[in-house]
Amino acid sequence: MIKLINVTKIYAGQKEPAVRELNLTVEEGESCVLVGPSGCGKSTTLRMINRLIEPSSGTILIDGKDIRETDPDQLRMGIGYVIQQIGLLPHRTVAENIAIVPRLYGWPKDKIKERTDELLELVGLDPETTRSKYPAQLSGGQMQRVGVARAMAVDPPIMLMDEPFGAVDPIARNHLQDEFLRLQSLMRKTICFVTHDINEAIKMGDRIAIFNRGELVQHGSPHEILSNPVNEFVRDFIGYDRVVKKLSLCRVGAIARKDFGVIRESELPAAAEIMRKQQTEVSFLLDHLGAPGGMLARKLIEKQGAALSPGALKELAQKGREAFIQEDALLRDALSLLFELSVDYLGVLRGETLCGVVSLADIREYAAGKEVD
Amino acid sequence: MKWSWERFLVAILERAPQALIDHIGMVLVSLIVAIIISVPIGILLTRPRLKWLGGIILNILNLMQTFPGLAIVALAMPILGMGFKPAVFALTIQGLLPIARNTIAGLYGVDPDVMEAARGMGMSRKKVLYEVEIPLAMPVILAGIRTSAVYVVSVATLAAYIGGGGLGDLIVSGLNMFWPDFIVVGAGLGALLAIFFDRVLGLVEKKYTPLGYSTE
Ligand SMILES: Nc1ncnc2c1ncn2[C@@H]1O[C@H](COP(=O)(O)OP(=O)(O)O)[C@@H](O)[C@H]1O
Ligand SMILES: [Mg+2]
Repeated sequence: MIKLINVTKIYAGQKEPAVRELNLTVEEGESCVLVGPSGCGKSTTLRMINRLIEPSSGTILIDGKDIRETDPDQLRMGIGYVIQQIGLLPHRTVAENIAIVPRLYGWPKDKIKERTDELLELVGLDPETTRSKYPAQLSGGQMQRVGVARAMAVDPPIMLMDEPFGAVDPIARNHLQDEFLRLQSLMRKTICFVTHDINEAIKMGDRIAIFNRGELVQHGSPHEILSNPVNEFVRDFIGYDRVVKKLSLCRVGAIARKDFGVIRESELPAAAEIMRKQQTEVSFLLDHLGAPGGMLARKLIEKQGAALSPGALKELAQKGREAFIQEDALLRDALSLLFELSVDYLGVLRGETLCGVVSLADIREYAAGKEVD
Repeated sequence: MKWSWERFLVAILERAPQALIDHIGMVLVSLIVAIIISVPIGILLTRPRLKWLGGIILNILNLMQTFPGLAIVALAMPILGMGFKPAVFALTIQGLLPIARNTIAGLYGVDPDVMEAARGMGMSRKKVLYEVEIPLAMPVILAGIRTSAVYVVSVATLAAYIGGGGLGDLIVSGLNMFWPDFIVVGAGLGALLAIFFDRVLGLVEKKYTPLGYSTE
């Protein structure tokens, strides 16, 4: 746990504090994203936690212990630190870079070698081909992976990450973010993550701390912050698409409902009758193998269903043959698909099997603020 | 002035070996003393506490670099008298400048992000200096030593004027006696020696350029 109490930093020769009266707690195993416009004091805050900078006043506790009681070098050896510019030592190979902190701890050679290979694999690099390369021989994305591996070398419980994915192209960044989330779900480290990108903050943070001009403006879960921005600044910072952003916090499975009907292809002649009986808003068409291949909305059938031949019904149903989405997709993607296909419902799949239904109205309800677990 | 092959042979076979040894001795001693003095000074002047001073000294050194070598040799004589020691002193002063300048410039040039990352991982200041700053500044420091060596080799020919010996003796004798052959031997060997130092130190420089710097 990291706890900052009344922390203020005024750089020598400056009037305005870079960080003012900051109180912030990052719980054990939680990732807290510090986000805000450039110059708002995020990096300063991070550097105070590993004592690269000393606060002008206030106290910082790690696991309840004042960090001033620990020798700065010792303190830093126990905290992973990743910066945007990565800072790999250019005259050392990848393996030697990763070995820096283990060497400071005096690990034996074979343990270091073993750990290096393990870490390279963990961050998605091939140890065989990578370990003896020099940083200049790597791509930006690969360098950043090595940076992350190096910071995790001795498995520190705390990681400080200052815009770690800021310098790589958007595709690589997305990839790195996803992989880091996967790692974090396994490791549950206590993470302070700095970014100026609100989307990255929403994606990476269990909690988000929004800064403006050295002050903490709002601290809460992404959902809290998107639902209730405390002031104009936060509202502006999040952007006008605040509600749409909320849709990337929730997976389809979380709001999917079970009240859907199914109609087999052989049952099509009696479709209207069956749907009336099933009393569901929507029924999905299953082919002779039981695979979902279309969709019929009751509204539509009630209006004109009786008049349609089974062939015409099948054709109508198959207009919705694309209207299925995996349960672990984000609501944002579901909404996009609903718009793209111009339909009101999507079948929710778990692998190949139909397991629920989600409607435009459900998504709207979620966006409007109703909590769903 | 008349050319004599006989004197030419005398110059090469009898005078040159000793002159060359004296010359190289003078250069090596001056160079080593210059390195021992200026590298630590360069390091000291780039430590956070003295960084402000480093910039100023760097400017002064750049300026002093433009002083002619003869001026320093001439200034050294009335103070230190004649002989090998004052010659070495004057050459050391000459040799200091490029090395100190390049040490400071090389250390300033180390990527601050690399240093921040190193400090952030818990490397002590001393470790950062020895394992990061010096290795990364090494090519620039070595380039300074190389410049200094070539410079000292040529200025050392002036040492003959204050009794320092070396190849300068041949040149001075040649000038006094109107013996072009002596001048050619002295100046020619001086030039070859300068080229030799330049090449050898060029190889050392290449060897110490961190591998990661060559991106091929
Ligand atoms: N070493 C420093 N000396 C003086 N001022 C600094 C220093 N580092 C940062 N600042 C100032 O402190 C403020 C906050 O900087 P920083 O924490 O780096 O912001 P952020 O990381 O949010 O962009 C800025 O106004 C910046 O100019
Ligand atoms: Mg910053």
